[in-house]
Amino acid sequence: MAISAATKAATDALAVNRAPTSVNAQEVHRWLQSFTWDFDKNRTKYPTKYKMANDTKEQFKLIAKEYARMESVKDERQFGSLQDVLTRVDAGNKVHPKWNETMKIISNFLEVGEYNAIAATGMLWDSATSPEQKNGYLAQTLDEIRHTNQCGYVNYYFTKHGQDAAGHNDARRTRTIGPLWKGMKRVFSDGFISGDAVECSINLQLVGEACFTNPLIVAVTEWAAANGDEITPTVFLSIETDELRHMANGYQTVVSIANDEAASKYLNTDLNNAFWTQQKYFTPVLGMAFEYGSHFKVEPWVKTWNRWVYEDWGGIWIGRLGKYGVESPASLRDAKKDAYWAHHDLFLLAYALWPTGFFRLTLPTKEEMDWFEENYPGWYDHYGVIYEEWRARGCEDPNSGFIPLMWFIENNHPIYIDRVSQVPFCPSLCKGASTLRVHEYNGKKNTFSDDWGERMWLSEPERYECQNMFEQYAGRELSEVIAELHGVRSDGKTLIAQPHTDKDGKMWTLDDIKALNCVFSDPVDAL
Amino acid sequence: MANYKIHDNPVRDEWLAKIGELRTLKKGAEFLTDFRARHTTPLRENYDLELDWGWIECKIEEKVALLKHAELNDDQFLNNCVGGANAQDVADVAVAKMDACTDKYEAENLHINFRRDYKPPIMPTNVFMDADRLLGTKLMELRNIDYYAMPLEELRKERGVKIITIQ
Repeated sequence: MAISAATKAATDALAVNRAPTSVNAQEVHRWLQSFTWDFDKNRTKYPTKYKMANDTKEQFKLIAKEYARMESVKDERQFGSLQDVLTRVDAGNKVHPKWNETMKIISNFLEVGEYNAIAATGMLWDSATSPEQKNGYLAQTLDEIRHTNQCGYVNYYFTKHGQDAAGHNDARRTRTIGPLWKGMKRVFSDGFISGDAVECSINLQLVGEACFTNPLIVAVTEWAAANGDEITPTVFLSIETDELRHMANGYQTVVSIANDEAASKYLNTDLNNAFWTQQKYFTPVLGMAFEYGSHFKVEPWVKTWNRWVYEDWGGIWIGRLGKYGVESPASLRDAKKDAYWAHHDLFLLAYALWPTGFFRLTLPTKEEMDWFEENYPGWYDHYGVIYEEWRARGCEDPNSGFIPLMWFIENNHPIYIDRVSQVPFCPSLCKGASTLRVHEYNGKKNTFSDDWGERMWLSEPERYECQNMFEQYAGRELSEVIAELHGVRSDGKTLIAQPHTDKDGKMWTLDDIKALNCVFSDPVDAL
Repeated sequence: MANYKIHDNPVRDEWLAKIGELRTLKKGAEFLTDFRARHTTPLRENYDLELDWGWIECKIEEKVALLKHAELNDDQFLNNCVGGANAQDVADVAVAKMDACTDKYEAENLHINFRRDYKPPIMPTNVFMDADRLLGTKLMELRNIDYYAMPLEELRKERGVKIITIQ
């Protein structure tokens, strides 16, 4: 059949200049990056002391299509495992009851971190001027949306397929009652999204993700698996596969400001403040969650911390950034001291305040006490004897009329809240490094537990205005607070929080708590 | 000592009643700026409303925003502060003062007072946010230089805190 002259001309032209039959994703990435803008008049919506370079590269060079293809495969594997095989083998009911409670806290709190990381990376996208750097932050924004859903799904899965759903199912409204919530907001929310945009990147990517996601998201999978939980590793390891991109983004943030004169003036201060902010909460809380929220132990938290925080991050990762003027934080040495006793100190307080939780806590068993003493010599004489006294007084049984908070009052051990980190501490009882310092400024008393935080407050007091639970609840009876903030199960009277996980043990009710006539007071009023 | 519920409490009810009485933009704006000076920021006059100031401020802002919507035309809404001043002119003066500032405590006051006096709905958001970014940037620059140079004892004196106890 004859062809037209036009068709022949086109065919001949293509024979000389062949059209591509496929396009490499990296070629598309290069092509997309050529769509740059005139940044002379462009500006970010967010304040920053730094100037991010216009030619910063990113390491992953993903385009949206490749990204979506990769993540959809991960989601198929993850949700397929959860909904098919793990449900059929009744994985939710094979989790050790103590660990089931721990996941109420970890997954719900991490959801908050992921949610705020969406905003943080959106802010960084807006602040960066390099198209490649923007592309890296954009991929992370998408990751964080995925992770927020994943964390929510873990609690949903435990609710639907596991044991003792209360706390998994309504953590979003009950998590605010107790003392762990506000410290978590400080690290996972304020640290990620308030202040200097680059400082937020340092908090989120350089410290939160490069330093603490290994102990948090990787270590948690080991502890979970050891305690019969196959659900958490399925989801959290899927999350972790994205974290490397985030660490790379943090690295590139530093690279992007390395040639800016301001970096040498501010960077190490911001890094030190970010590290202290993050570690002040994560060091005790993660150690407490792993060691006191599990029955089967993996390795002492102090060893995990030393390997991943002190050596891998403080040494190797920060060392690689040394050529850009980054130094290991001066506060790292003090943090290392905290990593030994701080989580033990925190559990004493957390257990004393158990009615304000949205989860159940348990005292260490005899076997667990032996493990603590073996790995933390001196543990028993300081902490073990107290737990034995509480148990002997019947703290798990509502008929005893005793909660450990009463022991603190009887023995004159006031509990304070650090204004900057919002972490509770008891200076007269702690074995860790916390010391009490109280100021009055413009008629308001503020309490601190360490030099680093005190300096942060003295330098920027408006950042730390948050009221603590004792200020909020002062004068109120404990059961009233719990009832108002929905800390009860669906029968309207049994507490979500309990001081044991014994299925045959008696559950505490609002009436049991009311009978104690426990009224909150703010300890700084007595000073 | 508060000794009342967190979400529904008599203090909030009392302030809702006062807010309900605001009928004009002029009164509403005066009420809001007065409230902010008395009850918000680290430089506030007192901590009587420590537990509820944020919620109450938000409710006053809602009311002032509605009054603005009722009384201002589109051009005024985008370009003027509530009192009628050109918003960009006001912002430019604040930014110029901050540009000239070399003392971090003075810069802190400039920034806090700008927010106290002009945070939306007093100033249109489109003008306020950019000015706030510029003020915040300069404040952070001044604050973060030689952050650790001063001993803690001297820093406490410089901030002007009264020491209750140091262990």
